[in-house]
Amino acid sequence: MLCIKRAALTACFALATAAAFAQTKTLDGIENMTRSALSPIYAGNEVKGYLMFGRGDKADRKTDNYVLDFYDQDLGKVSNITIQKPANRFTLLKNSFNGTAFAFYFCNLKDETVEIETYDTSLKKLGSKVIEDLSKVDKMIIQNQMKQGGETSSVSGKMDLFPVPGHGFVRNSYTGMAKGYALVMYDDNAKAKWRLASDEKSKLYEMVSLTEATDKYILGIMMRRDGMLSKQVSSSMIAINAATGKKVLDVPVETSKTEQLSLSSFTFDAEKREFIAVGEYYKLDDKPFVNKSQGFFIKRFSEAGKAVSTKNYGWQKEVMALMPAEAKASLEDNYVNYTQSIVKGANGKMYIVAEQFKIVGDGMGIALRAMGGKVSVSKGKIGNMLVFELDPEAKLSKVKFYQKDPSNAILPPGSGLMSAGLLGHVIKSQGDFDYQFMQRNDANTQFNVVYINFDKEKGEDTKRVIGNIAFGDNGQYLEDKINMASAANYSYLYPAKPGYVMIADYYKKKNQLGMKLVKLNI
Amino acid sequence: MLRLLCLLLLYTAHVYSAVAQEKPYLPYYSNDTARAYKLAVLHRSAVKAHLTVPKSGPKEYREHYQEVVQEAAEDVFNSIRYSALLDSELEPYVQQVFNRIVQANSQLPISAKLILTRNPEPNAHAVGNGTVMLNVGLLPRLENEDQLAFILCHELAHVACRHMESSMQEQLTTLHSQEVKREFRRIINSEYNISSKIKALALGFSLNNNYHSRRHEKQADSLGYVLLTHTGYDATQAYRALQLLDTIDEPETTAPLALSAYFGCTAFPKLFEAAPTKPQSIFTVKASEKTVLQTTDTLKSHPDCAKRMRFMSILAQGRVAEGPQPLSSPVFARIRQISRLEVVQSWFDYDCYDHALFEALQLLPQQPQNTYLRSVVVLSLYALRQHLQHHTYTEVVSNRSEQNPASFNKLLLSLYDLRLEDFRGISACFAEKTSLDATVPADEYDLAARYAARALTTETTAAAALKVQYQKQYAGGKFDKLLFSAQPPKTAAAHR
Ligand SMILES: [Zn+2]
Repeated sequence: MLCIKRAALTACFALATAAAFAQTKTLDGIENMTRSALSPIYAGNEVKGYLMFGRGDKADRKTDNYVLDFYDQDLGKVSNITIQKPANRFTLLKNSFNGTAFAFYFCNLKDETVEIETYDTSLKKLGSKVIEDLSKVDKMIIQNQMKQGGETSSVSGKMDLFPVPGHGFVRNSYTGMAKGYALVMYDDNAKAKWRLASDEKSKLYEMVSLTEATDKYILGIMMRRDGMLSKQVSSSMIAINAATGKKVLDVPVETSKTEQLSLSSFTFDAEKREFIAVGEYYKLDDKPFVNKSQGFFIKRFSEAGKAVSTKNYGWQKEVMALMPAEAKASLEDNYVNYTQSIVKGANGKMYIVAEQFKIVGDGMGIALRAMGGKVSVSKGKIGNMLVFELDPEAKLSKVKFYQKDPSNAILPPGSGLMSAGLLGHVIKSQGDFDYQFMQRNDANTQFNVVYINFDKEKGEDTKRVIGNIAFGDNGQYLEDKINMASAANYSYLYPAKPGYVMIADYYKKKNQLGMKLVKLNI
Repeated sequence: MLRLLCLLLLYTAHVYSAVAQEKPYLPYYSNDTARAYKLAVLHRSAVKAHLTVPKSGPKEYREHYQEVVQEAAEDVFNSIRYSALLDSELEPYVQQVFNRIVQANSQLPISAKLILTRNPEPNAHAVGNGTVMLNVGLLPRLENEDQLAFILCHELAHVACRHMESSMQEQLTTLHSQEVKREFRRIINSEYNISSKIKALALGFSLNNNYHSRRHEKQADSLGYVLLTHTGYDATQAYRALQLLDTIDEPETTAPLALSAYFGCTAFPKLFEAAPTKPQSIFTVKASEKTVLQTTDTLKSHPDCAKRMRFMSILAQGRVAEGPQPLSSPVFARIRQISRLEVVQSWFDYDCYDHALFEALQLLPQQPQNTYLRSVVVLSLYALRQHLQHHTYTEVVSNRSEQNPASFNKLLLSLYDLRLEDFRGISACFAEKTSLDATVPADEYDLAARYAARALTTETTAAAALKVQYQKQYAGGKFDKLLFSAQPPKTAAAHR
């Protein structure tokens, strides 16, 4: 059939050339597709490839072949790994790359264990580790995580494998009835190196989420409560020596005399050798996550943990003064901000990205409540995007406002009684915000906020636009909108190399998955 | 008699070139698609008539046979319909060479036909009914008519030996053999590791095919050589033709493109030589997976050119031409030159603007006065900018690849790096560096390019005037859609 095949190639040589060499990829024989089947591989800030995880054919009665397909940042196929694991009961929780090794974090639902497998950059297996002593909470969180396709916020907890360049990977877990935490460092060969856990004798409930690996520290935020049901949360910044696992810093974000602080981000300024805490502040009597915040703050600490400076930016004061005219209406419209990401540029500026949301009083819901019913049918409305820019002296220098079509979020029962702060986290964990992710390059000179704009009420197919807000060292704020309309049954958006996003279109009838990079006009 | 005919043909070819050289060559374009369509229909029927489905044998086999014939016929139809090159210079020229071979070899079927296609890849192949498809991309890579004659003889030998039919039948027979059926059933029923077992079975097939195609190539070379010796063409060139095929995937020149010389100036002092290199891959996996084209046979990769050359040397009893041949005939020199321009246009017409740009920029230093090449550069830039603006840039700009010439990869890196506003600067610089100061646009390409240049540099008034002029002078012209359509540009990927 050689001649026939070649004739076919000639007939569509343009297609063949484009298909084989364009920065696109079409995969056939994909029987189903979910967002989490494909995940970007990061090295530092930048996407360096993609991993596709899928179940292949049966290996024997109880075992399936699972395939890990690797693509580079240009969607070029690199290689694949086939592993034999329990049939139907095995899934990938997370892929991690620490610069020297890949670690794949699997969940074995049959044995109720998690497994770590590590590979070098030539995809040669380095080691593996099966972890059997999962707590009840660990299992619960895994189940929740899988339901949501890996998109859970740190509020509801997350089983993670955190890459630490030069050292390995840190696995977190929950001890007791979510009373405490444990962190274990595994090296590139999946051998345990150190363990750091909360003090069992402590009365406090502790939860930690790791945020960043710096030159020698692993940074994180610790949330402490004095009881399981307590809503009083205090946050601390912690730093762990990456080599020894010893906690070298544990500084609470102190409550000031005039307001309460809630930490949302904690980073290390390697230039100034200072820790930076960013968060929101509340009235003294209000409670973080319960009441609406008054503004955001930035606090700096020395390496020894001493507070160096504190600065507040009130929504109604500093922020309002710089607010563009077209944005003011939405603030008066009762919208509140949810902080999606906070980054610091190489230019010393800090950028805070927020998305607006509010509760829409629903006639039915109010009526039911008035009649003593407990069913809440309140709806959340998602509004516009905002970027706050702070100059290197931490002065609020710009507020950028990006209008988008409002979309709706269906809120769980009881939401009507919830405060705005907590509601933001609920909406986040439901995946109802339009904000998707932020991309940045390794030099921290270019940032791109990616969101989707569509009318959720009319359905995703009516209008789908990928919005990009780019900013960085050139001082310009640029917007680029991509029309995402396609004939695909499902379209998924993924982070890509700087200056691009990746779109995967799944065609159910053809069992086909098309992946393409889109160059942004930013 | 034969000699007289040859002289006559040579004479007519000279006349063509003498006439044609007065005006600069423009690639073939015709609004009239009826000719290609009729030709395509004709060949589709010919394939179906030629490959008659056997009357006896298992039903399954016959059905499969029917399917394959249908597919082959459609493929031939599409190739001809969308890529037949029916110009008044190249096509008559290659037909003349083809006819000379057929007339000199009475054993060849008189039904044998040649189709020149616009495919820019340097290749040729024969299809089911005995039609030889010659890609225009092969012509610039040959040194003389004798080499072209050998390639055609080789393909005609495949036709004469009924290689296409026999390999199709052989494969279908194997596929439907009891043995394979049993094996296939065994795999399907085995329940476990099915896909890897089927892969192994398929690999066995393709190895088997390779073996057969190797055998066929040897046959086609030897019969092709014999056919060539009957024609009066220089048979020593057969060996040289194989030698050329051996390196046909390599670029003709390794010189880097003068990107800064064309696209950099005071208005846009961007240094293309300093274009960022491709970011390092985090993977250190040795062999990356091959793409469709890399695994598909090309004329060259017809197994082992070196082996075939040794075999040819024996056939020719050592009388072989080796190494670069002098370009003796001005006729063939012109054929090479104009087929190069057809290759440029072909890439452009198939939305491969990166390739079109690359080919045009390679030719431009040798022909700085060529308005057509200049126009293609500008029009490619225009099309690229359109795609960038509509977020389909990556569908028309290829990925960097180890298989590409280094200079092409370099161009690609520069293209990846371009931002929307950069197109204004590079267009301004290109206009400055290549301006020929002609007052009247020479032709449709020139006028379209002048509009595109003004549009790229946002000289709106001048652009509007040129638009009016183009639409008046070339109503419904070749570039109407590209330049003036309100719709976002379509891509190959979007057609699928
Ligand atoms: Zn051949």
